[in-house]
Amino acid sequence: MLILANVRGALEQVWANRLRSVLTVLGIVIAVTSTITVVSVVQGFTGYVSDFLQGLGTNAMWIWPERPGGEAGKRLGRVTLDLKDVQALQAECSTLRSLSPLIPRPSATVSMGRTEVTTQLEGVSAEYHTIRNLPVEVGRPFTFLDIERRHPVCVLGREVLRKLERGDDIVGRTLLVDGRRFRVVGILAEKGSVLGNSQDDLVLIPYTMALTMYPSTRTTIALAAQALDEAQVPEAKAQVVSILRRRHRLDAYQPNDFQIRTQDEILTAFNSISIVATAVLAGIVGISLLVGGIGIMNVMLVSVTERTREIGLRKAVGARRRDIMLQFLTEAVCLSLLGGGLGVGLGYGITAIVSLHPQMVDVAVPAWAVLLGFGISAGTGVAFGILPALKAALLNPIDALRHE
Amino acid sequence: MTADPLPLPEPAAAADGPPPVILLRGVTKVYRMGLEEVRALDGVDLRIDPNEFVAIMGPSGSGKSTLMNILGLLDVPTGGRYWLAGRDVARLSQSEQARERGRRIGFVFQTFELLPRQTALQNVELPLIYSGVRDRRARAAEALRQVGLADRMTHRPNQMSGGQRQRVAIARALVQEPALILADEPTGNLDTRTSEEILDLFDDLHDRGQTIVLVTHEPDIAARCRRVVRLRDGRVESDGPGGLSEDRETISC
Ligand SMILES: Nc1ncnc2c1ncn2[C@@H]1O[C@H](COP(=O)(O)OP(=O)(O)OP(=O)(O)O)[C@@H](O)[C@H]1O
Ligand SMILES: [Mg+2]
Repeated sequence: MLILANVRGALEQVWANRLRSVLTVLGIVIAVTSTITVVSVVQGFTGYVSDFLQGLGTNAMWIWPERPGGEAGKRLGRVTLDLKDVQALQAECSTLRSLSPLIPRPSATVSMGRTEVTTQLEGVSAEYHTIRNLPVEVGRPFTFLDIERRHPVCVLGREVLRKLERGDDIVGRTLLVDGRRFRVVGILAEKGSVLGNSQDDLVLIPYTMALTMYPSTRTTIALAAQALDEAQVPEAKAQVVSILRRRHRLDAYQPNDFQIRTQDEILTAFNSISIVATAVLAGIVGISLLVGGIGIMNVMLVSVTERTREIGLRKAVGARRRDIMLQFLTEAVCLSLLGGGLGVGLGYGITAIVSLHPQMVDVAVPAWAVLLGFGISAGTGVAFGILPALKAALLNPIDALRHE
Repeated sequence: MTADPLPLPEPAAAADGPPPVILLRGVTKVYRMGLEEVRALDGVDLRIDPNEFVAIMGPSGSGKSTLMNILGLLDVPTGGRYWLAGRDVARLSQSEQARERGRRIGFVFQTFELLPRQTALQNVELPLIYSGVRDRRARAAEALRQVGLADRMTHRPNQMSGGQRQRVAIARALVQEPALILADEPTGNLDTRTSEEILDLFDDLHDRGQTIVLVTHEPDIAARCRRVVRLRDGRVESDGPGGLSEDRETISC
């Protein structure tokens, strides 16, 4: 009963001073808005990136030659990774299901008739389709023979087709890749884009062909590999490291002259970005809650002073200290929940606007973020409402009634 | 119905009749202002029986309001004892005090003290909220009817005249059916005609059995009461029937 009367009275009070109320709760609005927005966007990206990483292939890892930094790196001789290394890994790595050399060319020209477009090229093996989860939608994937015999065949991504303004009938036709004639044997299934970069702007050719076309890559071959299963990923990584170190004759004190990254590590790297974003969020939220809380405390103290006589009267008709305390706490909480509500609304609005951007990932406001927003605002109301409420509760009824 | 001459026995001794509504024994109230002591009440003995209508008079600063505050459990005496409706209430805890106050006392103030944003009905309901009564609306409406404001229930204080406001305040004092109504200069802010109406209302309530104590400066108001208690310097100077006014300097009407 009393609670209901308190809430009604508090709402009346908030409504009677609506401008003051709204200005007071700005801090809380900012806190809740940023919570909702950042949580939603970070969640959106995290979900998206892990989807993307899943799409890269299951239990995949990448290996490429790289000179380590610092003095130790400078003292190493030539940093290489060649076909012999690849063969050694293929022969000795028991925990790898499959392995494909990867000769990436960030830009290659593809021309057909008078149309000439620039795209990414990757020289790969037949296993690459499964490792990277790149199924062929039309036509056929690479075969073992294509690789072995260095067939001039290629598989195109959908984006290349769009750029060339061609349809599925391109399969079987020939085109020029960096000046060499290739026959199109397949079209990859569409993968979509990540952060505005199309994953379908890609032409695959046999790596044997790529090594011929770009001789300088013979000693800097990268690799994509797939472990037997998830549990074997760390073991596979250890095997690759030990085999390559042995083959490269690295002493115990020397750093690796290559890099190896698993999918998990990439996900972890991304997660650490989300952690930074969350920490920044926590900072903003903390500061604006403090500001908002002090605002509420201030306005409640003013309200208590303004209504001293009312408090005296309430006590005269039988209100106990705890009744008065509860009344003003309820009011502080209503005020801060108003801020919370505005913040949630604004958060929804901003996320909606943000997701209008064409290259934005799918962003949804999680229900727990809304609850969190209301929770922290109610908490702020209680924490900063206690002092004014206590002040009101402890007023001496006679002094209060006499207050001018 | 005049009070017995003091001193009185302990209330237990008077168990044959209904207990007095108020029994004060040697009540003192001392305010300390730095080194100085103000004895606002200095040994007050007072007995008020059910259905008495008592006026408290006295010059400014004689302790009338202080006495009313103690009677109304808004303040605790520095010394002495106080039985309210037979219960020793001189040293109650805060929340006990509040409960007794809400249940047994109805206040009427000079300045009405209505909540400005609430309707007459809501204002009258207020004491019932704190005592947790169920049928608040009905009881508040009944109290408003008793003071003749049946047609003003949904008006706010600023939509009513001073006299009407004071009636709402009286309804609020009545609604708990208190043992005692305390009115500190209830007509102090009203013109003569309105004052008359309010006093008629008090008379009316008294006729229906209500016990009323009111503070006034006006001799003709005091004259309407059955009993007048005069305070001077925190002591009871005289205590006797009103109206008859065998009275000294103060009365000059
Ligand atoms: N809170 C207080 N602190 C100190 N002294 C006080 C306090 N309240 C009252 N007094 C003193 O106690 C005495 C009695 O005051 P009280 O208000 O009871 O007088 P009163 O009879 O009601 O006067 P008035 O007719 O002007 O209302 C006065 O001398 C006053 O100064
Ligand atoms: Mg006074």
